[in-house]
Amino acid sequence: MAADHLSPKFAALADPTRRAILARLALGESSVTELAEPFDMSMPAISKHLKVLEHAGLIARGREAQWRPCRIEPQALKDVNEWLEEYRRLWEQRLDRLEDYLRKLQSKAPKEKKRGRKK
Amino acid sequence: MSQSQTNTASTSPDFVLTRVFDAPRELVWRAFTEPERMKEWWGPKEFSVVKSQMDLRPGGTYHYGMKAKSGAVMWGKMVFREIVPQQRIVFINSFSDEAGGTTRHPGHEKWPLEMFSIFTFEDAPGGKTKVTIRWQAHNASAEEQNMFDTSHDSMNQGWGGSLERLVAYLAKAQK
Repeated sequence: MAADHLSPKFAALADPTRRAILARLALGESSVTELAEPFDMSMPAISKHLKVLEHAGLIARGREAQWRPCRIEPQALKDVNEWLEEYRRLWEQRLDRLEDYLRKLQSKAPKEKKRGRKK
Repeated sequence: MSQSQTNTASTSPDFVLTRVFDAPRELVWRAFTEPERMKEWWGPKEFSVVKSQMDLRPGGTYHYGMKAKSGAVMWGKMVFREIVPQQRIVFINSFSDEAGGTTRHPGHEKWPLEMFSIFTFEDAPGGKTKVTIRWQAHNASAEEQNMFDTSHDSMNQGWGGSLERLVAYLAKAQK
């Protein structure tokens, strides 16, 4: 079991060209030549990006055809998405608590009377 | 898609969250930078903060322990990179242990080891304060640079929208 299979995915997603390639692949599978078209880049450069994406598990390359079509791996993206969601939830909860705390602080700002409250 | 976030650092944030608090900036800042105040809210729901120790300076750390209802304690730490009073805190966040080492998420081996984070504090109309939290997996990019040597400009380009939105879109597009 890989200790951290998300890091290579984040690394792969950090590059704008690779994000653009993924966005293109979201529309359907595609050949390397087609993928290279919109970019001002050599084929070896595009291949290198594809290798990074493949290594990260974000895309798969077909073996069946000579042109080895590329396709997106939706499960991998779901993993990344789930993790981001989890992290977002954690922060939402923290900020909710902070909001309560700040409200409490300000409402009792002039704290003249100390009621002897018992446990 | 057209919504763009201003990138203050030379990195493109994966994750952006904002919240406006009905409190003056000075008070919000103190809630983030005084360990006794952090204790009051830093633990997520159902957690209580059992340790909150802070050395607020570049290179200093904030070490904290959050206790779940079950009694299990989760440790975490921040290592501060930059502190601009009442404006900005830049730090590296990670899970930790009781001694303050850097660890992975307990029970979540796949979480990235470190997270690069920026908090910004701004005045909002009506005496309110807007807090923005930006974050990205930290070691992921370092790893990539070693592995693939594609460091050229990939981390220097800002881009509109956050990674999570793209990922959510792509995950959905393939259903």
